Amino acid sequence: MTSVFHETAAEPQTRSVPLSHVSLELGHLYMEDFAGGPERLREHFAKIAPWAETARAAAAAAVPRGRPRISTCFLIDDYFTRFSSPAELVPMVLEAAKESGLVIDYLARESACARAGETDVARVVEQRLVESPAPGSDGRRPPAGEVGWLSNGARTPGTSPLDVPLQALSPRTPWQPPRETAARRHSVFVDVELWDEPEQRRVWSCPFLAAVWQLARLGLLRHRGEPLLVPQDHPGAFPEDWDALPSVIRLNERAAAFSAYRIWSLLPSRFLPVEHAVRVILEQTEVEPGPLAQAAERAMAEGITLPEEIPDRIAYVFLPES
Amino acid sequence: MRAPGAEPGRPELLCGEVRTALLHSYDPVPHSSAAQLLKLRGDAPVLLSERPNLHARSPEVLTGVDCVLPSVSGARTRCVGTVRARACVNDGRVLQAAGYFGVAVAQGGERRQWSHYLARPGTVETFGRLRHDDIVRGFLGTGQTAAGVLDAGATAERLLTRVTAHPALDGNRRVPFKSRRTRLRWTARAAPDGEAVIEGFTLAEGGLRTLALRLPASTLAAPGVVAAFCEDIAQHDWLLTNLVHLVERGRLGSADRARAVRSLSPAIDQLLHLWMPGARVAKELSPLWDVLEGEPGFSRQWQTLVQRIRDQLALHTISLLHAERVPAEHMTTH
Amino acid sequence: MLLFSASDKGGTGRSVTSANLAYRRALSGDDVCYLDFDFGSPTAAAVFDVPRVVRGVTSGGLHSYLQGDVPEPMLVDVWADTEHEALRTRPLGSGRMVLLPGDSGGGEFALGHDTVGRCVSLLQRLEEEYDLVMVDLSAGRSYAVDMVLAATAQPGLAELTSRWLVFHRWTRQHVIAASGLVYGDRGILAAGVGHGHDGDELREAIRFVRAAVPDPEAVPWNQVPAAQVSWMRKCDEQLMDLAARLDAADSRRLGTVPLEPVLQWREVLITDEDADSGVANTATRDALVELAGKLTLDEEWGER
Repeated sequence: MTSVFHETAAEPQTRSVPLSHVSLELGHLYMEDFAGGPERLREHFAKIAPWAETARAAAAAAVPRGRPRISTCFLIDDYFTRFSSPAELVPMVLEAAKESGLVIDYLARESACARAGETDVARVVEQRLVESPAPGSDGRRPPAGEVGWLSNGARTPGTSPLDVPLQALSPRTPWQPPRETAARRHSVFVDVELWDEPEQRRVWSCPFLAAVWQLARLGLLRHRGEPLLVPQDHPGAFPEDWDALPSVIRLNERAAAFSAYRIWSLLPSRFLPVEHAVRVILEQTEVEPGPLAQAAERAMAEGITLPEEIPDRIAYVFLPES
Repeated sequence: MRAPGAEPGRPELLCGEVRTALLHSYDPVPHSSAAQLLKLRGDAPVLLSERPNLHARSPEVLTGVDCVLPSVSGARTRCVGTVRARACVNDGRVLQAAGYFGVAVAQGGERRQWSHYLARPGTVETFGRLRHDDIVRGFLGTGQTAAGVLDAGATAERLLTRVTAHPALDGNRRVPFKSRRTRLRWTARAAPDGEAVIEGFTLAEGGLRTLALRLPASTLAAPGVVAAFCEDIAQHDWLLTNLVHLVERGRLGSADRARAVRSLSPAIDQLLHLWMPGARVAKELSPLWDVLEGEPGFSRQWQTLVQRIRDQLALHTISLLHAERVPAEHMTTH
Repeated sequence: MLLFSASDKGGTGRSVTSANLAYRRALSGDDVCYLDFDFGSPTAAAVFDVPRVVRGVTSGGLHSYLQGDVPEPMLVDVWADTEHEALRTRPLGSGRMVLLPGDSGGGEFALGHDTVGRCVSLLQRLEEEYDLVMVDLSAGRSYAVDMVLAATAQPGLAELTSRWLVFHRWTRQHVIAASGLVYGDRGILAAGVGHGHDGDELREAIRFVRAAVPDPEAVPWNQVPAAQVSWMRKCDEQLMDLAARLDAADSRRLGTVPLEPVLQWREVLITDEDADSGVANTATRDALVELAGKLTLDEEWGER
């Protein structure tokens, strides 16, 4: 049914983003790795390269028709510690990758997952968390959330400052184990710290920023309908200051789109706990219906069936450390 | 046994509750302030509409549930999923919060990954048989919802409390008149012949109203549209409830007409212009308003009350004019 | 209007008098609600004669609400649920009378996370609907007193009219105790200022009510031997002196409720029927009516 009268402020709009078939993340490094110099970087990319090839082949094989659109990306940690400068570090990274035959199409800054321009990107995602309810949740009591934490089940009762037995003479309850809600008989209970606030300043945790990053790669991040972390073109010379570098830059003019239906992350195995935490977060993130529907429709038109659950769109390869 | 044509995952039944209250403010709040009150999240905008009346609606928030569905038979049907809640401010004066959900049959007998449920926001999936009659009667029952039973009203109440507690309202919180809150519990299920009908509209104690709908499948697939219809009914029922109360308390027809007029002035200032049935109702649901206009006759009762108030005002004005003129006439005769 | 009833000691007739004041306001047409914040020993349900909640409710009462277990506390419509014969037919022109009971086994409890915030929300919400919101607080410097002092200092409540009644019996110990509750080191005023109240404003919002006061000039006290009468008069004068020194004197007194035999036997509402039939003293009824009227008379509260 169509209507002749419209008010733009009364109707939600969602802008779409271009989508590749697959996005490949070519590893991740801590600042101490960068401190190891070009040699350490070369080692890293040499280890990634064969797996990147395998992932590329597997991804291409899953594309039913047409040329596969596959892009690569790399995330630099400039949030927790600042090391060197883009002018010095970025060319070093690109060079090291090139030596292993890898092309980095997009380069992103981790601090942009916390804040990009005027937008508190991490807060936008935090506001979309919908906690998985423990059995018995009837909507009457707000989710028993710990401020700044997110778990995959029910915590041990009585360990929270919020559920101190308030009434005088309440009997003490014996210890109970925590429980994973979706446990298959035995629990793997995880409690993820989303942020802390030393000196009143919000510091987002590495897993939380990683969750934001994965959502951006899936093209599902919006703020009031506008996409966030949209790639910008390579500015020429890299700046001296990290803040002067755009959130996501496109380094390869012929690259397929940054965001993709499905994403692969090729990571050293020490990132396994972080990515487990990312899954705990993404499983409890309600993604906006607009971009979800856009991605599903376009995939369908290309003959691709997308898993409707977000964590299932992410694949991992964990690599040996040494 | 399932209704013919039912398929797993597709809501067969919608349930919701709307709570309506006077916004805590002496004067109606400007449209821009209403937007501020309803900004529940930074990432999604408050929807603002100015025609045919001022209406601001919050983004929706989800609450996860894993409990049993309401029932009169005592069946303990487990359901897992999310309940939607949203709030709106109408003409800067009336605050509403709604909680609602669709009920679908789950595939398989186990609770799934939580992201499965987040991919179907506002739907709860049940394990086992879906007994529509039992759920509808349980949900529309007048008793208190027992612990462990899905409570859509609670999510609405929490939202109402949250908006009401907004610091932007501080400093102007005295209300112009005492008002009663109302709760409208509603259900909607498939119409056998595809035509929208009202099965029943009931006024119960303690401000509770119940509304049972039968709707075509296409309308059931748009829960937000159905919720908006129920919000509209709830707002007008609230207006009537409170105007009746104000007129009662004003003791119209008693000897002290000045007092009656004084006690009615908030109604005249704040309520009379809010009557606009069906203003935001989708075309496919607007015939249902006509049904309610026929019986119980919302607008008929409203017009009668408004006419009574206007008559009182007119009589009061005449008596004031008369009181002024009498001494003047005395002057001229001397 | 928010009205808080406090007392330093138990047995001052605080609950029963408060309930009677609520009843009187409802009779005069106000919509009234009564919150049983007497967390240690809920009595309101007994006074209103609502047997099904007389020991509090098993769940969903005020405790559950303040601890965040339920989004709203349970309401009891007194006119509909009371077993009191005279109350079962709601008088014409009367307002609503609603009781919010506590939980049975609730007990006194400490301020927890967001308890004050919930208390603010509840009082705001009731103020939206009721002409009079009467809160009966546990005796002494209780958590209940502290909670409402904290709540009423919050920006969202501070702008609404809050008034306090402090009940005491007409004995030396009670007068001293009541004065201490208001003016003492850890009294209502000091605690209120600590929570951010303006001391002068809060002081103006507190009035004393003398409950169960024997009148030496009235039956039966004036019929005892002359020696006793003169002893009682002397006591009365000394108490006046004491009260004046403790700032609980006439200017701070809202009213006096005479010693009422009916209330000595049972905590009940004194109906007009009781007074007219001679079961209760008409003086008691009249005192309650007068006191109920003064609750909203601004000049009694130092306001113009």
